[in-house]
Amino acid sequence: MKLELTADQEFFRETTRKFLESESPLTAVRQRWDSPDGFDRGWWRAAADLGWTSLLVPEQLGGGTLSGSPVADAVIVAEEMGRMVAPGPFVPVNVVASTLATWGSADQQALIAGLVSGDEVAAWAFAEPGRSWDADAVRLTLTVDGGDVVLAGRKAYVEAAAQAGHLLVTARADAGLTQVLLATDTAGLTVVPGRSIDIVRRYGSVVFDDVRLPGSALVGEVGGAEAAVERQLQIAVALQCAETVGAADRVFETTVEYAQDRYAFGRPIASFQALKHRIADMLQWLEFSKALSDAAAAAVDADATDGEAARLVSVAKAYIADHCLDIIDDCVQLNGGIGVTWEHDIHLYSRRAAVNRAVWGSPEEHKERVAALLEI
Amino acid sequence: MTDARDQAVDEDVESFRIRARAWIEANLPDRDHPGDDDRALQALLFDSGFAGIAFPREYGGAGLTLAHQKVFYDEVRAAHRWAPCGMPWQVSIGMMAPTILDHGSEELKRRHLPRMLRGEETWMQLLSEPRGGSDLAGATTRLTRDGDTYVLNGAKMWSSGAHTCDFGLCLARTDWDAPKHRGLSMIAVPLHDTPGLVLEVIRAVDGNPGHFCQEFFDDVVVPVENLVGEENSGWAVAQSLLFHERNATGGAGYGYGLQNARPTNRQAQRSADGVIATAKQRGVGGDPVLRQLMAESYIEYTASRFANDRIAAGMRTGQFKGPWGSLLKLHLGALSSRHAKIGLAVGGADGVIWEGDAKVGGVAGEAWLSARGIAIAGGTNEIQRNIVSERLLGLPREPSPDRDLPFSEVVRNQHR
Repeated sequence: MKLELTADQEFFRETTRKFLESESPLTAVRQRWDSPDGFDRGWWRAAADLGWTSLLVPEQLGGGTLSGSPVADAVIVAEEMGRMVAPGPFVPVNVVASTLATWGSADQQALIAGLVSGDEVAAWAFAEPGRSWDADAVRLTLTVDGGDVVLAGRKAYVEAAAQAGHLLVTARADAGLTQVLLATDTAGLTVVPGRSIDIVRRYGSVVFDDVRLPGSALVGEVGGAEAAVERQLQIAVALQCAETVGAADRVFETTVEYAQDRYAFGRPIASFQALKHRIADMLQWLEFSKALSDAAAAAVDADATDGEAARLVSVAKAYIADHCLDIIDDCVQLNGGIGVTWEHDIHLYSRRAAVNRAVWGSPEEHKERVAALLEI
Repeated sequence: MTDARDQAVDEDVESFRIRARAWIEANLPDRDHPGDDDRALQALLFDSGFAGIAFPREYGGAGLTLAHQKVFYDEVRAAHRWAPCGMPWQVSIGMMAPTILDHGSEELKRRHLPRMLRGEETWMQLLSEPRGGSDLAGATTRLTRDGDTYVLNGAKMWSSGAHTCDFGLCLARTDWDAPKHRGLSMIAVPLHDTPGLVLEVIRAVDGNPGHFCQEFFDDVVVPVENLVGEENSGWAVAQSLLFHERNATGGAGYGYGLQNARPTNRQAQRSADGVIATAKQRGVGGDPVLRQLMAESYIEYTASRFANDRIAAGMRTGQFKGPWGSLLKLHLGALSSRHAKIGLAVGGADGVIWEGDAKVGGVAGEAWLSARGIAIAGGTNEIQRNIVSERLLGLPREPSPDRDLPFSEVVRNQHR
């Protein structure tokens, strides 16, 4: 939550917030629990119209940044989505669009227009069942067979897998990490739809039963995807951190308000030192989370080669996923019994924060990544 | 004689930047080799019109703004040069001088401010007492008017750097029948060769002399003109002092550039770097549990670095109103023991046991023993949490049953 936004960014935050408040209030989010997709296509197109899906795409491909710092721009949407636990495949669509813009062939870049308009949805199949969110853990095999490539293995925890028309898949070839783009109706590919504890965020598994693709499906060279994968992960984590911070920010705001209005023993519960001190700790965690989220986004925007972005993104994830979850958890306690009912909105945020904790790597995994990057 | 400060009259920030940059490059030493005479360096700054940049010219300042001061220290840092900062400058110029500026008499300001800005005099604060530090307004050091002078009796404690400073701003009680906040006065006490004043350096938990002192006042005579503000208005002066302290700690206000290049971060970075070095030395860097802990140390340090920038920016731009520096202090205070505990984990038995008969050793153990200090000094974690919840978030204040009672009727200690 940057303190100093450009005028364009301020305006963008305002329109994003207004859009979410009118077109995706929490009552609508709750109704989407029943929906298999978790989001409405028309609604997603309207969100795309506001610019949600174009920020990481260069102008010549139909996108454009507001401030010259595309990740910092996208972070604004992520924060607002967090505040409203909004639906929509925001991270996967932006990650895929960004990668196709940088590494995709002209044919593959043709998909970008649909992603930007919201007509198309794409997902990134990266993690595998029971394995960590680490490029080294990728085992799905890619075999070169003449002019074709053949994929075999299984992906899991893929956001919007069953809602996507295309998948960006990270696989391992003899030569190293390799990525392909393919349509979800490709022969040999099975998408197993799934759910998460989040009300509107859908995940799925993808089974690759010797899926044969022409070489033109490759995104970049065989064995040459390491930089792209790292970049994708950095963008995904930076946006996710911002979303988690937005969620904690909203919960903290409403809980502090509640604690001032709620009376017990003849005084507002916010006057009890036992609670004031916990609230003070929460504000510290929250402000530090905001500082780290912005720092991570700025580092990803700068895309420096000195490892600063990789390090900061993992630092931010480890700190934010842990502390923002604690903020939300302690806010449940401050709300008392109502906080553990279906009726109270706070569980919508607990759900989002718990899923975000795991997806794109847990704090524990990112701490290990930090240790490795520090060459401990 | 020409006055170096004349060049600054009506100077806009960008012209000032250009002039400051050239001067810094020509005159200030390299940041890594600053020499050991900060007082001489401060005098050079003063004589060249770069000390007390935002202080009025009649008191020795350059008569510019805080924005100019920020630019000057930004340029010092960008050029990797050194200007006096940290102790005692952060306190003397960043906190005491602005307090004198706010509340001192014309005479006091004209006599002392130029000397403070030139580094001829360094000042510090005498607030906490042996009977309590958090409840500042409960001070029981006694200041009594005796004709043309005041007489001071009592004791102060936990005063940082008193043994190296020339003057202490002392909060003392002048009216015992008034409510606690309304019977206090602030007075400047000379700390060298003062009859009746005994100053002792407190031995720290590591067995060495610490940077904290305690002072005993036995009929110490202080001139009436040393009073800062009116008699019995000392609490307002103390509030102003604490405001400047928080600003200086947060790297804002008159303290901008005078704090050690992020003391919070340097300390945390030392602990993070320290545990990593220890792990490598002991060959335990591969232990997955210890790796998590070491990463945690680094993560918290990194978080404080960016939070420091965020909060300093918020205070500078006015988006954060109030004592936001407390948030940084709270983090530092809450984390120091955690860092030290991680140090103990990584250090293992080697952190607390050593061969030979040296009485001090075991780096991790020593660090752990001292770690609580920062959670207590400069406002305890608990006081910071009160400040954060009440002053940053506007939550109800703690009840204070002693607030409106005559101080002589306030229960001070329960004797059984």
